[in-house]
Amino acid sequence: MKGKITAKRIVFYAAIVVVWQIVFSLNIWSENIFPSPLQVAEDLAYGAADGTLFFGIATSMWRLIVGLAISIAGGITLGVFMARIASVNQTIGSLILGLQSVPSVAWVPMSLLWFGLTDSGIIFVTVASSLFAVTINTYSGMKNIPTSYIAAARNMGTSEAQLITNVMLPAAFPYLISGFKQGWAFAWRGVIGAEIIFSFLGLGFLLNVGRELNDISQVISVMLVIMIIGILIDGFVFKKIERKVMSRWGLA
Amino acid sequence: MTKLEARNIVKRFDHNGNPVLALDGINLKVDEGDFVCIVGPSGCGKSTFLNIVAGLEKPDSGEILLNGNTISTPGPDRTMVFQEGALFPWLKVIDNVEFGLKMAGIPKNERAQISQRYLDMMQLTKFANSYTYQLSTGMKQRVAIARALVMDPEILLMDEPFAALDAQTRDLLLVELQLIWERTKKTILFVTHSIAESVILGNRVVVFKNRPAKIKKEFVIDYRRPRLAEDENLLKYQQEILAELRTEVKAQIKREFEE
Ligand SMILES: Nc1ncnc2c1ncn2[C@@H]1O[C@H](COP(=O)(O)OP(=O)(O)O)[C@@H](O)[C@H]1O
Ligand SMILES: [Mg+2]
Repeated sequence: MKGKITAKRIVFYAAIVVVWQIVFSLNIWSENIFPSPLQVAEDLAYGAADGTLFFGIATSMWRLIVGLAISIAGGITLGVFMARIASVNQTIGSLILGLQSVPSVAWVPMSLLWFGLTDSGIIFVTVASSLFAVTINTYSGMKNIPTSYIAAARNMGTSEAQLITNVMLPAAFPYLISGFKQGWAFAWRGVIGAEIIFSFLGLGFLLNVGRELNDISQVISVMLVIMIIGILIDGFVFKKIERKVMSRWGLA
Repeated sequence: MTKLEARNIVKRFDHNGNPVLALDGINLKVDEGDFVCIVGPSGCGKSTFLNIVAGLEKPDSGEILLNGNTISTPGPDRTMVFQEGALFPWLKVIDNVEFGLKMAGIPKNERAQISQRYLDMMQLTKFANSYTYQLSTGMKQRVAIARALVMDPEILLMDEPFAALDAQTRDLLLVELQLIWERTKKTILFVTHSIAESVILGNRVVVFKNRPAKIKKEFVIDYRRPRLAEDENLLKYQQEILAELRTEVKAQIKREFEE
């Protein structure tokens, strides 16, 4: 079953490359607009060989990880307060719903004014992009805990603080995971978007350089890298955790 | 000696803006080491009463005394076994069993000693490192009982713990619970809608009247243990209680029909 799906995928992607090569061979557009698969592959090999690509990946990933870590810590804290204190939810809660609808690149001008062309500026955009998704998911998780868990815990003499850390947060874990997953997706868009505009290192910067040099192969190869990182993190990190959590929590 | 006393417990619920009387002055004394069953039709207020005893809900008036002292908050001196088990799926069986001890700050090796005893008693040793999703419903209830017993409560509260089990598993656990009661000498207050269950388990069976709940009558089941589910001598006790409840059930059906 699984092998069959993999086979289908390989055929599909191979077909894309073949069609791409055929279209390229028809010479409809110039090479500067429409490169061949080989040119993109060469560009990838070149970027890998001279290290720029790995440095770009490392820079973007580092910003992503720092930003996402801040969002996870902050989002869980905010979500817990919203779930436990009604007036926090009624006030800050409504603001957060509003802020979540702000597209991540819309934070860039503010970030440039506040932080200038720095790592902190890009991390700020990353946090602003992902914080509210984590917050909202934590809040719904806390609100959807079976009341019997709380009754059982209080019954065994659990204090209020223990109740939150030892019962409510673990009980809400399936929701937290979807918050992290959404948060990561928003954070990744935020990092790349900010890097393009800040033009200060990272994969987004490499995209921008590609555009400035009129190097379409570089633009496409960096886009491919961004996409592949997305697929890997989604498939290997989140899918695995999600599957494990769902079955253990009895949700699958 | 009286272990637990409920004095004139009254509880109202808000039902679409109208207060509805759920418990209408429940008076009950449970002696130390006794096994008391409360039986009554579904929705008559058994869980509400047990939650008040546990301290999970507050009565509108009346009080609960444990060893002569008024109680108002939940505590590990009155642990409860719920119908749904309410086990924590993120913890292994052994960590579920040790949960209350851990919260109480008892050191790890001491916890392990205590939990081992109850894992053995509930025949769970093999499953100590399993997660709850890997267990059958019957196994889950064993874990829930072990988790409540490790706290060495003054009184064990059980709210229809066997209602979701298949008949064979339930019959087995009905016998086991009697053996555990004899071994641990715990005071048990057990709530069920099943008359058969109540006469198998209880020294005393307290019959709740429906809407608002009141104690209608009490039966003493003076019969040897362990009592088996298929013991026909228990039928006469069942019939006595059924006769008492029949008028209740009829009234309820009539009410539901009219609603
Ligand atoms: N939190 C609540 N709010 C409103 N009504 C409730 C609440 N809890 C229980 N009731 C009502 O009180 C009555 C008794 O419920 P319960 O104690 O659960 O009965 P039992 O356990 O005997 O089946 C029922 O009519 C139920 O609808
Ligand atoms: Mg009930």
